[in-house]
Amino acid sequence: MEKNSINAVEISDVWKKFFICQDRTRSIKERLIFWGRQRVEEFWALKNINLSAPVGKTIGLIGRNGSGKSTLLKIISRILYPSSGEIFINGRVSTLLELGAGFHPDFTGRENIFLNGSILGFSRKEINLHLKNIIEFAELGDFIDNPIRNYSSGMYMRLGFSIAVHVKPDILLIDEVLAVGDLAFQEKCLARIKDLQKQGKTIIFVTHSPAQVRELCDLVVWLDRGEIRSFGAAEQVVAEYTAFLGGAI
Amino acid sequence: MRRQVREIYEYREMLKNLVAKELRTRYKGSVLGFLWTFFNPLFLLIIYSTVFSFVMRVQIENYTMFLFVALLPWNYLASSVLQGLVSIVQNGSLVKKIYFPREVLPLSIVMTNLINYLLSLLILLPALIIFKVRLTPALFAFPLILGVETLLVASLVLLLSVANVYFRDLEHIAGIIITAWFFLTPVFYPASIIPLKLKAFFYLNPITPVIESFRNVFFYGTWPEWNSLGILALGSLILLFLSLAIFEHFQKAVAEEI
Repeated sequence: MEKNSINAVEISDVWKKFFICQDRTRSIKERLIFWGRQRVEEFWALKNINLSAPVGKTIGLIGRNGSGKSTLLKIISRILYPSSGEIFINGRVSTLLELGAGFHPDFTGRENIFLNGSILGFSRKEINLHLKNIIEFAELGDFIDNPIRNYSSGMYMRLGFSIAVHVKPDILLIDEVLAVGDLAFQEKCLARIKDLQKQGKTIIFVTHSPAQVRELCDLVVWLDRGEIRSFGAAEQVVAEYTAFLGGAI
Repeated sequence: MRRQVREIYEYREMLKNLVAKELRTRYKGSVLGFLWTFFNPLFLLIIYSTVFSFVMRVQIENYTMFLFVALLPWNYLASSVLQGLVSIVQNGSLVKKIYFPREVLPLSIVMTNLINYLLSLLILLPALIIFKVRLTPALFAFPLILGVETLLVASLVLLLSVANVYFRDLEHIAGIIITAWFFLTPVFYPASIIPLKLKAFFYLNPITPVIESFRNVFFYGTWPEWNSLGILALGSLILLFLSLAIFEHFQKAVAEEI
């Protein structure tokens, strides 16, 4: 992939098409019976997306449900591939689509830190380096050496979040997971994100909270039905978006 | 291709952790736990030696060991294929949420079974001595034969795991094909009893030279047939590159298809 020292992420002319089958046929028998009669609909989840995320900036993605925010995050993190267009990524990406994906319920919290950290692409050395901070941040205390099937859902989430923000990615993608745990922990998450911002990390996150956008973002992208409706300074785009929502209601 | 291989290497920590997870959790909750890794081949050995010494007399001398040295590497192939086939589909939730080179999933299954096979040698070698099979320097060829088999198994599992995402029937077909394949491979019979007319056909089966080589070095104490093993090694290497390329092409839509 091409390197560009100014932009952490560069998206040029990206389109993403999904096929929506009314009745998903997979087996040969069904394929033969319904030959040519399958109703496959095309759905363009992203249309003509051009976007650059400068290194060290925080970019918010806003938009109504189904506007393509998560699809865009998945394309940047390479979980999905665009139907056409190109993506350039400069640095290591860590994705927070779902907290604790890949945890093994029978393993202890500590073992899961190593398992999950390695799935995120980090070496044992790097994880060891941050182990103490991860455990401290997750506020698990002695529970860290218990199998995580005994954890409450809050503890589970806190551990997942803690791992993802401590192993140092260059680019952090976050999908609506900032509403983790109680209010005190949420405050801590926000503080941690601000820390990462100060360290010059690039952050792209999806949110529905205008307050969070104003507090954290340098730039905001407003997605509407797969297209970029507006892109610019946080204050201005949020104002446009809230005005639009007001009109919609 | 080079980028792909480098990326798999960068995720070696994940590969290692998945293998450790597989090995640890397979017998989780059982009283004997990890010891099952040894008990499985041991019980197989006891059953076969009882049956073939007392019940069904086979003309081949020391038939228990004749079978055992071939059955273990066959099981390595069969369980890798059957478990590896579903590795991507079963980890669907992970594949949809986190990016990592998808090759890691099938490869971790191959490595787990490789380690299991190596551990079963701790039963095989003492058994060979107890059954008075003469061990010779030909054993030094063992790592080479195992390497060739691993190349073959890895290519196969890579291909099948990604194919299964698009064509789930493979899961159900695989069991039958593996059974048929078992009977078409000289595991429980010597290659010498294959009728001459069919011999060429049997040697189209890529696993036949591997099984024969294992039997040569462990059982007969002779060196493997270098020609067929060499050709197979080359073929497996080409197949591996091909599998990686095919995998790379088809893995892109995996998160959507699961």
